[in-house]
Amino acid sequence: MSVTRRDFLAAGLVGVAGGVIVPPILAKGVFAAGVEGIHNDRVLVVVQLAGGNDGLNTVVPYADPGYASARPTVGVRPENVLHIDNSVGLNPALKSLKALYDGGQVAVVQGVGYDNPTYSHFENLYVWEYADPQRRQTDGWLGKLLGTQLDSQGHPLAGCALGEVSTPPELRAANATVSVIQSVQGYTVHGGVGRQATVPALYRGTPGIYGVLLDQALGTAEAGMKALNSGAAAYKPAAQYTAAGLAPAAGSLGSALQLTAQMIVTEPSVKICHLVLSGFDTHQAESAVQTALLSELDTAVSAFVQDLAVHGQSDRVVLMTWSEFGRRIQENGSQGTDHGAAAPLFIVGKPVKGGLYGEQPSLTSTIDGGNLKHTVDFRSVYQTIIRDWLQGDPAAVLGASYAELPMIKTA
Amino acid sequence: MKFPQIRLSRRQALGVAAGGALGAVALHFGLDELTGSTQSAASSGWASPLGDRRAMAAHLLRRAGFGYDEAELDAAAALSYDDLVDRLVGQVADPLAAPSDVTAHTAVVEAWYAHMATTHAQFPERMALFWHGVLTSDFRKANRLPFVYQQNALYRGLGLGDLRGLLTSVTRDPLMMRYLNLDASTAAAPNENYARELMELFTLGPGNYSETDVRESARALSGLRLVLYDAAGHRIAAPKYDRTNPQPYLDQINALVRSGATFKGTLVPRLHDSGTKTLLGRTGNLGADDVIDILLAQPACASFLARRAMTFFATPTPSEGDVNAVARQFRGSGYDIRTLMRAIFRSTAFTDPSNYRSLMRSPTDFMVASMRALNRPGLAVVALRASAGMDQVLYDPPNVAGWPANSGWVSSSTLLTRLNFATTATAGMTAAPDVAVAVRTQLDGVLSATTAAALRAAHTDADRWFALLAGPEFQLK
Repeated sequence: MSVTRRDFLAAGLVGVAGGVIVPPILAKGVFAAGVEGIHNDRVLVVVQLAGGNDGLNTVVPYADPGYASARPTVGVRPENVLHIDNSVGLNPALKSLKALYDGGQVAVVQGVGYDNPTYSHFENLYVWEYADPQRRQTDGWLGKLLGTQLDSQGHPLAGCALGEVSTPPELRAANATVSVIQSVQGYTVHGGVGRQATVPALYRGTPGIYGVLLDQALGTAEAGMKALNSGAAAYKPAAQYTAAGLAPAAGSLGSALQLTAQMIVTEPSVKICHLVLSGFDTHQAESAVQTALLSELDTAVSAFVQDLAVHGQSDRVVLMTWSEFGRRIQENGSQGTDHGAAAPLFIVGKPVKGGLYGEQPSLTSTIDGGNLKHTVDFRSVYQTIIRDWLQGDPAAVLGASYAELPMIKTA
Repeated sequence: MKFPQIRLSRRQALGVAAGGALGAVALHFGLDELTGSTQSAASSGWASPLGDRRAMAAHLLRRAGFGYDEAELDAAAALSYDDLVDRLVGQVADPLAAPSDVTAHTAVVEAWYAHMATTHAQFPERMALFWHGVLTSDFRKANRLPFVYQQNALYRGLGLGDLRGLLTSVTRDPLMMRYLNLDASTAAAPNENYARELMELFTLGPGNYSETDVRESARALSGLRLVLYDAAGHRIAAPKYDRTNPQPYLDQINALVRSGATFKGTLVPRLHDSGTKTLLGRTGNLGADDVIDILLAQPACASFLARRAMTFFATPTPSEGDVNAVARQFRGSGYDIRTLMRAIFRSTAFTDPSNYRSLMRSPTDFMVASMRALNRPGLAVVALRASAGMDQVLYDPPNVAGWPANSGWVSSSTLLTRLNFATTATAGMTAAPDVAVAVRTQLDGVLSATTAAALRAAHTDADRWFALLAGPEFQLK
């Protein structure tokens, strides 16, 4: 019997509306073995820099005199900037990323934002997560893409949030199956073999508005646990994910990216992995906080790239970063910066055509009392990732078409 | 509505479990005798028992508190519904005794779990948890000071009073001031963080103020600094932390807090912007309390908070009409929070049979209800450890908008953590409460066919209690 994920969802939705119980064969979280229903072998890794990363201190316009005068205490000194050209360069904490840039594997997209931005974390998160400045969409852009275009069978590991505890809104969609995995060790049923045999059926046929959701989540957990454990046995990391060369600490970006590498190496149905590095809301004492976070990003991402190369997976993986907003040009009185607007982001991987994209926003021609005006709409980045990398249909996800950036190699 | 009474054979019962096509089964007797009524599903899917007075009392106790034992349910069901609402809403808060170290986030949270599980003043505790999700803060900002303990006490003490008193106190609460940078805001550089969230997330909601209003309120709120006061209200010096020898500091700060000392935001005139500001049409030399009065005068305030409370207590999707009716009573009472809650518990959005099991228990709710059902308050330390995997470490919300709700709590890994908590919670019980009684009191006898089958198949009390706590019914309320 072949039951597609779409059939399951249709049945589930009718079931809820009509008060009818979904037959267990459908409620089980049906998926096919291997990669049946998986669009292609390309993987997108999304690293969210949560809190609003200060873009001006990440890709630094060091040659602009306005930068030093706006940032007397939190600014990066020009002699410390890792020069990309004679106007901008990277924060000194991004040494390995700079080496990857020099090797042609990093696209730096400058000035990413949207028209009439808000300055609230939550509104901006909504805008980016749902790809909708009007904040009307109810499905996250990655979840919608995954569920409607990349995986028609609901593979448990096609969409993963790694090192996280809840489904990120970007991946939340009515028809996307997503696994949230903090660690391989933690992702198991305690209490012995008997308990492990009881648990899979626990929510089968549950009535009510949460019935299908509960049963689906548990089915996803069951299938995911099997794949994760066989993957952990088959994979050995081929790079150091921490600066000290120790095993990455639980909850760190290094630990989550190492798990991402394991999944990409061992599980062919993986399509989208989501990770978060938090703490960028630097209203106070910014320099020390941002330096530590960018260093963690730098070490973990470069190890990930190396690990994939050793495992022969480089051709099928692209990593992108994003943050809900950049920060105010002028620093505040607390050695920090307040919420701002446009900011740069990174696209990393062997399939990437390295270089600078977009324009560095002006420090003098600003919006909303001292904020950067975007030069690239963030949906142009999404459009490029969806069409040129994942070979999907951007309009079906974004609702319109946006100018593309030629940052994915064509051959 | 009458349902056909059908006595199911074991085979039929298992067939129900396997097929899952008959909806919920009501258990009226022991676990071995599965005598059920097959019931046509209510609009919520579960056969709603809310027409029954005892089930209605249980419905209210689950939502206005964290659970009950059989005797408490009996006492509640002896009252009329309106009297029960009045009795709960009128409860006086039971203070949380200072834990071993008031500066340690984990010590405060563990003590709070135990308190939620044991206090008879269940409703004030539930309100403290509600306000913790609305006027939320992050423990990381406490930084060796007793700020988590102090905010916890504030929401328990003022969470049932008038909204104005709560908001003016929150504006001077040390953890909030640190969390949203009010403690660093000056006339020269007003920090907008608190001003924005006060409007967006605490009182009005997006769309009801402008960016100019944010900036003007930031000016009005500038110049507050934290000062330590003793119990009599005199300024005292805060002890100094010495990294090389922290114990004397910890001893002093714990002794001070036990003697009633508190940190409080205090206006420092030279740091405050005393110029003219215009906020939402009102102009003058506005200060912090003026901002709150202006926000409370906005029509959006009552409906914003009424919706927030109804979503937490009553239904995931309150209608515009229900929200407005509750908001009118709230505003009409001068923002009396007890009036708000009484209106919600008496609204059809709360009492309608279709709202049976329409809310998902939050992780805190699930764990504390488990502790109360098992009468094991000692599980507080287990709850503390399990909370991260369920995505609810108290005082560590995902963002300033607070906690997710309902289906937002469900993912593959959070469910796994709930099941693993149920396993830990039911291990090593010497005298487990009677499961058959718990099926009636905790689950109203309304079980999914699968849970009924799991209860029948279980061989030990631990396995039966696991099925009860891990099953879908106990995740809902």
